[in-house]
Amino acid sequence: MKPLLSRRLAFVLLGVLLLLALWLSLSVGPVAMDVATLLRALAATLGMPLQAPEQAQLIVAQIRLPRTLLGLAAGGVLALCGVAMQGLFRNPLADPGLIGVSSGAALGAALMIVLGASLGGLAPAWSPYLLSLSAFAGGLLVTALVYRLGRRQGRVDVATMLLAGVALAALAGAMIGLLQYLADDATLRTLTFWNLGSLNGASYARLWPLLLVAALLLWRLPRWAQGLNALLLGESEARHLGVDIEQLKRQLILLTALGVGAAVAACGMIGFVGLMVPHLMRLLLGPDHRSLIPASMLAGASLLLLADVLARVLIAPAELPIGVVTALLGAPFFLYLLIKGRAHA
Amino acid sequence: MRRKGLALRCVAAVLLSQACLSGGAIAADMRLISAGGAVSEWLVALGAADKVVAVDSTSRHPAFLTQLPNVGYQRSLSAEGILALHPDALIGTEEMGPPPVLKQLDGAGVALHRLSAEASLAAVQANLRKLGDVLNAPEQAAQRYRAFYHELTQVTAALQPIAQAKPRVLLLLSHAGGNPMVAGRESAGDWLINLAGGRNVATHQGYQAMTSEALLALAPEVIVVTDRALQGDEARRALLQQQPALAVTPAAQAQRLPFLDPTLLVGGVSPRVPAAVAQLAQAFYPALKLPSSLLAGHAP
Amino acid sequence: MLECQHLALARGGQRIIEDLSLSLRDGEVLAVLGPNGAGKSTLLAALCGELAPLGGSVQLAGRALSAWPASERAQRLAVLPQQSSLSFAFSVDEVVGMGRLPHASGQQRDAAIVHEALQAADAAHLRGRNYLELSGGERQRVHLARVLAQLWPGAAGQVLLLDEPTSMLDPLHQHVTLNAVRRFSAAGAAVMVILHDLNLAARFADRILLLHQGRAQALGTPHEVLTEANVLQVFELPVILSQHPELGCPWVIPR
Repeated sequence: MKPLLSRRLAFVLLGVLLLLALWLSLSVGPVAMDVATLLRALAATLGMPLQAPEQAQLIVAQIRLPRTLLGLAAGGVLALCGVAMQGLFRNPLADPGLIGVSSGAALGAALMIVLGASLGGLAPAWSPYLLSLSAFAGGLLVTALVYRLGRRQGRVDVATMLLAGVALAALAGAMIGLLQYLADDATLRTLTFWNLGSLNGASYARLWPLLLVAALLLWRLPRWAQGLNALLLGESEARHLGVDIEQLKRQLILLTALGVGAAVAACGMIGFVGLMVPHLMRLLLGPDHRSLIPASMLAGASLLLLADVLARVLIAPAELPIGVVTALLGAPFFLYLLIKGRAHA
Repeated sequence: MRRKGLALRCVAAVLLSQACLSGGAIAADMRLISAGGAVSEWLVALGAADKVVAVDSTSRHPAFLTQLPNVGYQRSLSAEGILALHPDALIGTEEMGPPPVLKQLDGAGVALHRLSAEASLAAVQANLRKLGDVLNAPEQAAQRYRAFYHELTQVTAALQPIAQAKPRVLLLLSHAGGNPMVAGRESAGDWLINLAGGRNVATHQGYQAMTSEALLALAPEVIVVTDRALQGDEARRALLQQQPALAVTPAAQAQRLPFLDPTLLVGGVSPRVPAAVAQLAQAFYPALKLPSSLLAGHAP
Repeated sequence: MLECQHLALARGGQRIIEDLSLSLRDGEVLAVLGPNGAGKSTLLAALCGELAPLGGSVQLAGRALSAWPASERAQRLAVLPQQSSLSFAFSVDEVVGMGRLPHASGQQRDAAIVHEALQAADAAHLRGRNYLELSGGERQRVHLARVLAQLWPGAAGQVLLLDEPTSMLDPLHQHVTLNAVRRFSAAGAAVMVILHDLNLAARFADRILLLHQGRAQALGTPHEVLTEANVLQVFELPVILSQHPELGCPWVIPR
């Protein structure tokens, strides 16, 4: 298919979109702030010798900036993981959940939320980090298990892995159900909110791990762009083209587990970004991963930032879980594409 | 919207300042956000309703609170949303969160006060002491606690001389009659049943679902009906309709199905508890003579 | 040059090829013939390293196939599978361009090679089209162009393995394709092609390997291999053997 836009124009538009999303994310919030104050506060935050009113300074430096960075990193990482999985499974509708990382993370979080209270000895100040750690570890563990089950004679059998992922996701779901049964009302609500995701309460301390993982993905994934293209031809074709596909598959799985694990640990479950963004970018630019990878990263970050802006202003002073917003925006748009695509065919 | 909220607050303030027993020196321009149903009720009871600029989604009583800006669920508060209301203090229970948001609020100079959500008299006393300090009206708060204690002891004192065996009680919390959860040990429901002189026949911890058969086997003489969606008679009817097996329990056959407001069961002890306990005690022991003012919930 | 010695192959525990020795020579087209299940595709899988042999060895340019680094091997050995499962909307140029993956020859050179390879496969008119909108035959030619581009322009020491490249083609394009393969091998590369049509093999192959139940029934020039007795034994098909009136190659006519 002819891409809808030329590569250059598409990237210019995506860049503008991201800048717009960044600006909105920094400037929109329940606390009204004029542009001059915002700019002064931003400049002061970045270490420039400018002064802004104390509250504005605090809101920009401690609330909006970490939150914006979190949205930027989480959106980019989730979209990149979507690209990696759709490439690995050679299926435009694959989702990072397929290798078990989401269900594992959900189980890890549920364990900590429900049973964490009985770890009474631990200082409460640690509990948010424990929750993140537990989710991250759960995601990695289940992915490792799926990977082990998918190995046949030293090679990763993608079809077996897919089935193992489905089975383990069901198992994790059952265990989460059991935990929910054991949980009291308040714990249940915490669990529910966690499952819907949120960028609320972003802090620099929770941001660094995700930024590191984002950097890792940005560094590794583009190197595999051609390999991912070749993989779409088929595994043996890719091997004949000189791609070390066992290493490619291992890296894709590892990077996705790290990426989704870190994103989920930092902001809970956020659906639809990993599925939808790469799909959209493929419609826009074609399936070549050399464009798809950077485009998905830009678009994923923009989408999550815009969704978060909506999440915080729609019902201010309260806020919506961001997973609700991404699904509310994403699902109808996806359906529209489906119906339109069917009309074409 | 904001102006309407303000007007309502003024009306409430006038009404409540008349109800106030002693003229405490509550700081006039204090802005409070309450994140907890019982917390909000106590603030109103202490005459501080006009200081409350926003509440959380669990603050349903008194009804005028629902007109105020809503900061969402107490466990998923939003830092900027709260800061936009320029509060001096955020008062909630130990359930409020998430912790990173509380840290941000603390950093922004909002005083955070966490009250106990435990169902016990000691918790009520400690909470009122804390609220008295926050509102700078310790005497008023202490007096309110004595009134609360007095109302409760009126009920327990009336129950004292009764020789009859304690009735077997179950408390069912359902949604429009469906999925009833049974209040077990260490639940707020259990505490209320015991205060009202009943014997909770459920022995598990917290709230749990039970099969109809297990419910029958417990043979409750009284079933306390609480429902998140329905009130009073409608709740009773829905429960019996959805759980037909309950009809053969002694409680249903004797029509002993008192209704309890479900908001009394979450987020700590509310000032409405003595009245609720009195009503339950009346239902457990129909022969009991309790002052009507106590039952109606506006004891002197 | 690709060589195998005393090759024994099995799939799923079942022996498929027994004691087969074969060498693909530079500048030569070798056709592999045999009935269904004779082991043609299994042989190809072993020759390209997809399937580890049970016994025997496979050597590319005198070095064990498994000892080659992946990308260096891909510069010398290209494989066209029977079918491709590509289901993403790449353009034809992009698909053929993937053949240049093992090389670092630069965008301009790659674009020129893609064009030449497409011309060789008689698919130049498909440039810019969406791969998914092509017919089965057109797709097959695009993939042929891709493997040609991988070894382009073709030189001694390179090997091209083709698994039924003509299965979906009309008679004209069967000939066009095999002519392109012949021209390509003339530049020096060794070619092995699995075919079903005995007359196509007779016409385009320098040598023919006739497989029968996992063993080499015959290996030699078309005249040596395509005898009435061999064809009857291997295919259980009684045939009359004639000669092409213009080219002189064997011409097999079923009775």
